[in-house]
Amino acid sequence: MAFSRACCFAAALIATAVPLPSHAQDAKIFQFALQNGMQVVVVPDHRAPVVTQMLWYRVGAVDDPPGLGGMAHFFEHMMFRGTPSVPGDQFAQTVARNGGQDNAFTTHDYTCFYEQIAKDRLKLVMSLDADRMANLDLSDSNVHTERDVVLEERRMRVDNDPQALLREQMEAALNLSHPYGRPVIGWSEEIHHIGRVEAQDFYQHHYAPNNVILVVAGDVTPQDVRAAAEEEYGKVAARPTALRAEFAQPPRLGETRMTIARDDVKVPLMLRIYRTVSYTEAKPGEAEALETLAQLMGGDATSALYRELVVRRRLASDAGAAYSGYARDSGEFDVYAVPRPGVRLDVLEHNVDQIMQAFVQAHPKTADLERAKTQLVADSIYRRDSQYSMASAYGQALAIGLTADDVTEWPERIRAVSGEAVQHVAAQDLIKREAVTGYLVPAGGQQ
Amino acid sequence: MAWRPLLVALTCAACFSGVANAADVKTLKMPKGEEVWYVSDHTLPMIAMSASIPAGSAYDPQGKFGLAAFAASLLDEGAGNLNSTAYQTALSNRAIRLTINPSRDYLTVSLVTLTDNAKDAFQLLGLALAHPRFDQDAVQRVRAQILSSLEEEDTDPPTVAAKGFYKAYFHDHPYGHSVNGDAASINAITQGDIRAFAAAHWVKGDIKIAVSGDVDAATLTQLLNSAFGRLPARAPAPPPWPGHVGQPGIQVIPMAVPQPTVIFGLPGLMRSDRDFIPAFVANYIIGGGGFSSRLTDEVRVKRGLTYDISTSLDSFRRAGFVAGEFATKQSSVNQAIGVVRSTLEEFAQNGPTDKELADAKTYLTGSFPMSFSSNVGIVSELNGFQQVGLPVDYIQKRNALIDAVTVADVKRAAKRIFNPRAMTIVIGGTPDGQRTARPPAIPGEARAAHR
Repeated sequence: MAFSRACCFAAALIATAVPLPSHAQDAKIFQFALQNGMQVVVVPDHRAPVVTQMLWYRVGAVDDPPGLGGMAHFFEHMMFRGTPSVPGDQFAQTVARNGGQDNAFTTHDYTCFYEQIAKDRLKLVMSLDADRMANLDLSDSNVHTERDVVLEERRMRVDNDPQALLREQMEAALNLSHPYGRPVIGWSEEIHHIGRVEAQDFYQHHYAPNNVILVVAGDVTPQDVRAAAEEEYGKVAARPTALRAEFAQPPRLGETRMTIARDDVKVPLMLRIYRTVSYTEAKPGEAEALETLAQLMGGDATSALYRELVVRRRLASDAGAAYSGYARDSGEFDVYAVPRPGVRLDVLEHNVDQIMQAFVQAHPKTADLERAKTQLVADSIYRRDSQYSMASAYGQALAIGLTADDVTEWPERIRAVSGEAVQHVAAQDLIKREAVTGYLVPAGGQQ
Repeated sequence: MAWRPLLVALTCAACFSGVANAADVKTLKMPKGEEVWYVSDHTLPMIAMSASIPAGSAYDPQGKFGLAAFAASLLDEGAGNLNSTAYQTALSNRAIRLTINPSRDYLTVSLVTLTDNAKDAFQLLGLALAHPRFDQDAVQRVRAQILSSLEEEDTDPPTVAAKGFYKAYFHDHPYGHSVNGDAASINAITQGDIRAFAAAHWVKGDIKIAVSGDVDAATLTQLLNSAFGRLPARAPAPPPWPGHVGQPGIQVIPMAVPQPTVIFGLPGLMRSDRDFIPAFVANYIIGGGGFSSRLTDEVRVKRGLTYDISTSLDSFRRAGFVAGEFATKQSSVNQAIGVVRSTLEEFAQNGPTDKELADAKTYLTGSFPMSFSSNVGIVSELNGFQQVGLPVDYIQKRNALIDAVTVADVKRAAKRIFNPRAMTIVIGGTPDGQRTARPPAIPGEARAAHR
């Protein structure tokens, strides 16, 4: 008896994806530029009296000098090491004393610094960021201690983690000569070579207001932000910055495979990374189709890889796919599977290929396509719940050369993705010779 | 370029008055006594909910460690007439985000949904809680997933150290074993065990619910009834009080990794202790404050020995303790432990400076509204307060309680807690020299081989 309600309920529930409300899309944003060339984006959100400020510098690991891999990331750390007027660790101390939080991160394409703080402290954090943009104090002892910190960070994130090591090796193999193949954190051997002089040089060439996108999200008006930004950042003069090298991504002529066997591995893993187009390189709709394909193929527990490998065939304990398209140059499409005990990785890979091939041979089912698109569009609504996520979406897009419209219109572009488009990118964009397939196995195993 | 002095002196506690009440938190009277705190905000067409049910690993039976988490993992694997695939499709079709987080005291279930799908979202959760299927194929699949993640945990130094720490600190108390159990216990758990656990523990007697978003009181009452209304109203007894806690000294769990993780812990204070708020401030100053903390300054900034070091003042229903964690290369472990020890010792003896206390207060009070800047943040913060038994007016009183703390208060709390000689230290990884010799920098401690 208790289940009779559930029965009718069930029929209604699994029928089809539910269309999303269109009014949910209106996030008003504002854009302008300062005279020194700094670009500004304002994303108002008046729910709480706090703001998130992000500075996106157009410099990242692709700009690491030869032999000094990890420089951009190391330099992100140095930005917290003080200026003559805010010496030592006073940057972080001042932000904290004012009830704020701050941090930073570096990728191949950009370096981002951010603070979250009460809205009446926005000018304070602007003055702090303007100061370190121009007046950083790079002393030898700072450089040496921070280098040790970065080496510990590398041990934590990479050297201690066999999956991270596998990915690092695969990226190096995937990218031929493009610096996307060098780890953002750098190889230990090269991190050791970073010194004060090299850091000073890097600062000189990349840290200037004309190389920055400022994003402020939160309880502010564009007028407030413009006045404050002009006062604080306006006083930092524009300077010529180093031209960024345009690295080629020559075609790969053959597929690459690697097996890494290690003592510290207990659970094997199969990972394939395809080099693909990014949002910046893609034809209209192409990146959105790849995004939809990744969702269909491995976005959640209803996706093809999970359902087939984990649920039906019982070959894997986990499986999935993801598209990373927000890059200045190439994008990547990942597919992975973790075998159940006793399942050989080559057998697992054969099954992965079979499931992927189905997307090449036919359109996805309408119900599956609609569900995938519903999930992706909902992401863009849920993202609006967080100042940090909203500021990140706009900052990242502008930092890699997209426009604010690309962010705002993304949900509509996802809605427009057709089954044909998904089939097309499955066939044309995921090519084995543009991929590296990696196996991670326990040392002495039979894989 | 000439620079005016920066506004670095801008600090006063009073500056933040007026923003402390960032969210208007209301309570809802439910017929069966469920505790509901909520914030109505119609800005976005979404609702977030976090519900904590006292069904955590502290209720695992002997020999079946990991049962609470195992049952929790099956929450989205089929209910009523929906098998696993149908249930997950129903969630996915509506972009309903259901996350399940088992911990020691509580099973926390979080739901994020668009307003338009809220009715279905809460009904689906209600179906899962009241009529879970626990189909044999789902049980076997989830068992395989848990066993795989347990194997992976064995190669992750922070997880290995944490498991070792809980065991060393809580011994045989129900808080002492891992939330996820171990391979032997997971293999011993049957479908019947899972059914029995859910029937006994997925109840609403002590349930704590926090909601934020596009909803009013009347609608919320209906939604919560559809999610929790069919659960039995009884409340299980809380876990027993721990007796003796801690195991002063260093335990090494050898692992072949370049960077061991060190976890150190000390008895803390219960939430009801009159020194809890001073202890909370003390923890911020010593290790809770990120880059502002003494430990970060001593271990990372001055010496470059770690990327991250932090401490937290943890509150379980039946225990309060301080746990700290850092990771450093094998050759630096002993040096770093020595620095931690002397930093704690100095703090316990002399307490904070006036400036440290003032800075801690302005951070802790000034940053409070940031927890209330998103629906997801609000439910997480509110549900955290509910879990430790705070009344809803704590949100209004919190900043005044912190502002009232004196240097003498913090010094007293620090002396009660930060006694380096009482530290239980567990290392996941193999520090240089640790296997064969007692570290010379740390006299007076016993080592015990683990496993």
